[in-house]
Amino acid sequence: MKKNKWLPYLFVAPYLIHFVVFVAFPVCFSLFLTFHKWNIISPVEFVGTTNYSRMFNDRMFWKAILNTLKFLVIHIPLQLIFALALAEFLNRKIKLQGFYRAAFFLPVIVSGVVVTILWQQLLAFDSGIINRLLVNIGFGKVGWLVDPDIAMGSIAVMATWKNVGLYVILFLVGLQTVPPSYYEAAEIEGASHWQKFRHITLPLINPTIFMVVILSTIGGFSLFIEPYIMTGGGPLNSTLSSVLYIYKQAFQYYHMGYSATLGFFFALLILSVIIIQKKYIETND
Amino acid sequence: MSNKILLAFIVLIFFSCERSVSEQNGLLFWSSNNNREIEFAKEFTEKWNKEHPNQMVRLQPVPEGQSSEEVILAAVVGKTTPDIYANMWQGSVEMYAKAGVLIALDSLEGFTEFITERCGKETVKEITSSDGHIYQVPWKINPIMTIYNRTFLSKIGTTEVPLTYSEYLAAGEKVKEDSDNDGYIDKWLGYTSVKVIWYERFFNFYSLYIAASDGGSLVKNNKAAFNNEHAVNVFRFLQKLYINQYYSRERLSAAQDPFIAEKVMTKWTGPWEIEHSEKFKTREDFDFDFSPMHVPDDHTGPVYTYADPKNIVIFNTCENPQVAWNFIKTMINREGDKVFLETSGQLPRRQQLEKDSLFSDYFLKNPKVVKFAKQANYVKGVDNCEVIVEVFDIISQEYEACVIYNKKSPEKAIEDAARAVNVLLGNNES
Repeated sequence: MKKNKWLPYLFVAPYLIHFVVFVAFPVCFSLFLTFHKWNIISPVEFVGTTNYSRMFNDRMFWKAILNTLKFLVIHIPLQLIFALALAEFLNRKIKLQGFYRAAFFLPVIVSGVVVTILWQQLLAFDSGIINRLLVNIGFGKVGWLVDPDIAMGSIAVMATWKNVGLYVILFLVGLQTVPPSYYEAAEIEGASHWQKFRHITLPLINPTIFMVVILSTIGGFSLFIEPYIMTGGGPLNSTLSSVLYIYKQAFQYYHMGYSATLGFFFALLILSVIIIQKKYIETND
Repeated sequence: MSNKILLAFIVLIFFSCERSVSEQNGLLFWSSNNNREIEFAKEFTEKWNKEHPNQMVRLQPVPEGQSSEEVILAAVVGKTTPDIYANMWQGSVEMYAKAGVLIALDSLEGFTEFITERCGKETVKEITSSDGHIYQVPWKINPIMTIYNRTFLSKIGTTEVPLTYSEYLAAGEKVKEDSDNDGYIDKWLGYTSVKVIWYERFFNFYSLYIAASDGGSLVKNNKAAFNNEHAVNVFRFLQKLYINQYYSRERLSAAQDPFIAEKVMTKWTGPWEIEHSEKFKTREDFDFDFSPMHVPDDHTGPVYTYADPKNIVIFNTCENPQVAWNFIKTMINREGDKVFLETSGQLPRRQQLEKDSLFSDYFLKNPKVVKFAKQANYVKGVDNCEVIVEVFDIISQEYEACVIYNKKSPEKAIEDAARAVNVLLGNNES
């Protein structure tokens, strides 16, 4: 009897231990740090709400948030449109369908660092293949990564290329759940391709669209590897993402308390955006 | 059955702990994980252990990590620091000293006299912490100089190496070339990293600033000390290099070295470039040499530069710092420095190195290193400031805005950087 009493706890112990060590403790410790100054090697010092007031006056942090939002504004629509168009294409009966599906998914499983370095070579101003091609066909060079007005757009395109395969798979699943009888009925009524897509496909894959937007948003807010490797946050801090800024505060300057504060605020911001998206995108149609 | 497993587990833990306790005998010495430095450290550790069987030293290369700085930081937090660590960047020492994890070496017998004789009074002054103590042993340096391609130089019709700002800029006009006629420059006067990351400023702004100001400071008495004509002139000089397209704004990570590819005539770099260029040169008669950092036209006297110093520290976990210092002394005395130079190809921080007969054989065999040895008499490290990394980062931000993108005047950029540094130092003080 006694053995039975502890058995359930034993079964859930791996999850509980993982939760306590890797979720509950870090979150609680981060919250504790937001009220303290700590450079890892010196003793923790209580500073009250100084980190919070510093955050609201930190222009660089707000610039980083703005940069991240700029990235999202370009990245999410691109991701949605391309993923949906490719999924629609791959859902048809075409030759080498399996090959194309695997090819589009390939960048997702390749290391982000490798992909980023390759794109850095492609987009280089003087020696990049894209600029060489542009010059050969009579156009001027474009400062893909060195022009502050263009750099974030270049990173958004690269990130879309890297991640689109995953969302293609999600949309493919969504498209295959639409009952063919709906399309057959619409065809009998004389509906065009666009009408079928607009009035049947889109409403029925709404949950998938919602999921893709949410995942893209969370992924987009976590933008780090691309600017860290491609631009280091430059030129002129135009690609300094929020996570990159938090990383710099923590591991370059060892402002652990301040970076924890930024991290907390940023998590709340993501949560707010997701709630708003849920309200406006998710429908019960 | 389960009790037996539990017992076996406890025994296993006991023995694993026992092993680590037994390993803690003697001093633990972490060298850098560069093969040549390991070889050097091994030779001296073995020699010491043979002569001092009661004061054994255990050598271990610094454990692998993303960077040695991170590993040291983790060791400090976990209180698993070695007794001796050789290869600490001078700028990191103040932070550890303020945290109270380093031994004040000037309290050890014979330290100050030995170091003053080896390195000179100026170096001793440079490494003295803001609290008046010394927490680091000046060990090795890699002075930053200008490497230039002689073939390029003769192509522009001169054998005179450009040494001043005006001469260098004039050379830039002759060197820049659009060799494939696509409307874009593909031969440049030089290249220096455009990355904003703080340490990249060692190889452009900071070395040039030290040269222009004869070893000036960035931070003095806890205030920014670089809002002066030297810093402004350096920014203006660098800005002109980009405005006139003598330098490329390209980020060249993972691309071929433009100096080796002969796309640029010059580069600001350290002595490691000698071996690198010899190893990767694409033609046998690739001809290069070194000159000092560029200076303002009215500059007189010797040209200073950044030393890129790496030093040795003793952590406060060391139970016998005097023995640790006695061991370090064997590595950095004249004989030790000679072996270090021969093994690693790096310069020990010893005054008048090039005039010492003990080292002359090495310099005869490696004539290109002589210029660095002579330069070693006119070098500076970094100021002892706990937040020196942030100071460099602030300067880097302004460097990008002014020098690379011409969005600010040099005066405004330096003024803004100095103001931000003063705010930072004020915050840091509170």
